[in-house]
Amino acid sequence: MIFKKNPSQEDYYEENEEMMPEEEAGVEELSEDNIDTVVGPSMIVEGDFASEGNIVVKGTVTGSVCTSRNLTVEEGARILANVKAGSANISGEVRGNIKIKDYLELTATAKIIGDVEAKTIAVEAGALIYGKVTMPGVEKSELRAAKAMRGRNKRGSKMLDMDDIDDAED
Amino acid sequence: MYVYLYDNFLNHRKYTATIKTIENRLTDYGIAGKILHLNNYIDVKPIIEDEIRRGAKTVVIVGNDLTFGHVLSRGSTCDAVFGFLPIGPNNTVAEVLGIPVGVGSSDILARRRKEKLDVGWFNNRYFVSQLHVPPAKVRVVYDERFQVTTPYKMEVVVCNFQPFFWKKDKKDLEDRVVHPQDGKLEAFLRPYVKKGWWGRESEDPSVFPFEEMEIIGSGPFVVEADGKKTKEVKVKIRLARNKIDMIVGKERRF
Repeated sequence: MIFKKNPSQEDYYEENEEMMPEEEAGVEELSEDNIDTVVGPSMIVEGDFASEGNIVVKGTVTGSVCTSRNLTVEEGARILANVKAGSANISGEVRGNIKIKDYLELTATAKIIGDVEAKTIAVEAGALIYGKVTMPGVEKSELRAAKAMRGRNKRGSKMLDMDDIDDAED
Repeated sequence: MYVYLYDNFLNHRKYTATIKTIENRLTDYGIAGKILHLNNYIDVKPIIEDEIRRGAKTVVIVGNDLTFGHVLSRGSTCDAVFGFLPIGPNNTVAEVLGIPVGVGSSDILARRRKEKLDVGWFNNRYFVSQLHVPPAKVRVVYDERFQVTTPYKMEVVVCNFQPFFWKKDKKDLEDRVVHPQDGKLEAFLRPYVKKGWWGRESEDPSVFPFEEMEIIGSGPFVVEADGKKTKEVKVKIRLARNKIDMIVGKERRF
């Protein structure tokens, strides 16, 4: 499991006993990171939990969680931390802000208490979200226009209320 | 020049025929050499260093997993190429290295296909196959960044060459195997959860790849590394890269 493989080295045979001359140190090529980090159901992880591979959480994590790949939070798992991941599949509870680079999926048993930011979100019926949801792709000008519209609607509804009061008095 | 380190158990007559066949084959290949017999009281490191001073280039371990761990945990700092001829039962490391058990291993040795291997380091010692902490009240700190705890007793296994075998429960007939992955040191943590009034059962293991790890116990706990048991209160485990130059086979698992 901790073996360095020189990519330029091919299978070879030696006829004599002399050692091969030391090869130049090539670029250390780590194999693809297929190792999943798994946090079992009764495990409690505290601190800055970061991994280069996929993370599967079945237990409890507090602090912060960070991975560039996939994060899976299984049903019954709890994360009391801010989360940063490439993609995520959440079926458990997350109390903290979530920042996902690509795809976020929330299943029916998911419960999110915190802000969510993701490129793509899929929410199954039954999932609970309490917080701000932000997605890239909305232009600033559209945001300003939406705010202005909300402001006008509020003023409009106030004026209507005043009219109703005046009519009632009459 | 080749030096062969024979384990004690090979003195038994049931291995005589296999050893004779291997020795004849090695002579045919032209790689026969000096034979030294080990026992539990011999320190391997000064022997290897002596032989290297006399001109030995390759040190070949002849035996099983215990022999492999015993020799390499002490001899990994020596400047030599290591080979392995697995004989008899208890040979799981050979499969990982792609070396067949028995007579076929001499062909692998003759081919001399070398790979640089990493070893684990803990408390001023090296371990090659596996480090095992039987269930104890411990907590694990990874890379000084986060810690893993559990309210129950926990078993810790850090695998290097030797695969990790475990059973889901008593009724589980199949032995589950987790093979070591390339380029990483991995720890498997299994808490022993309370079941019913008296019983305990082990949960599915948690997996954490790491570079540096500390196991801290609330009291002394047993640590077994390459067949040797010690009692520690704190264990620091690190990865030592490219420590061993090893002759391996084509069917290796990395």
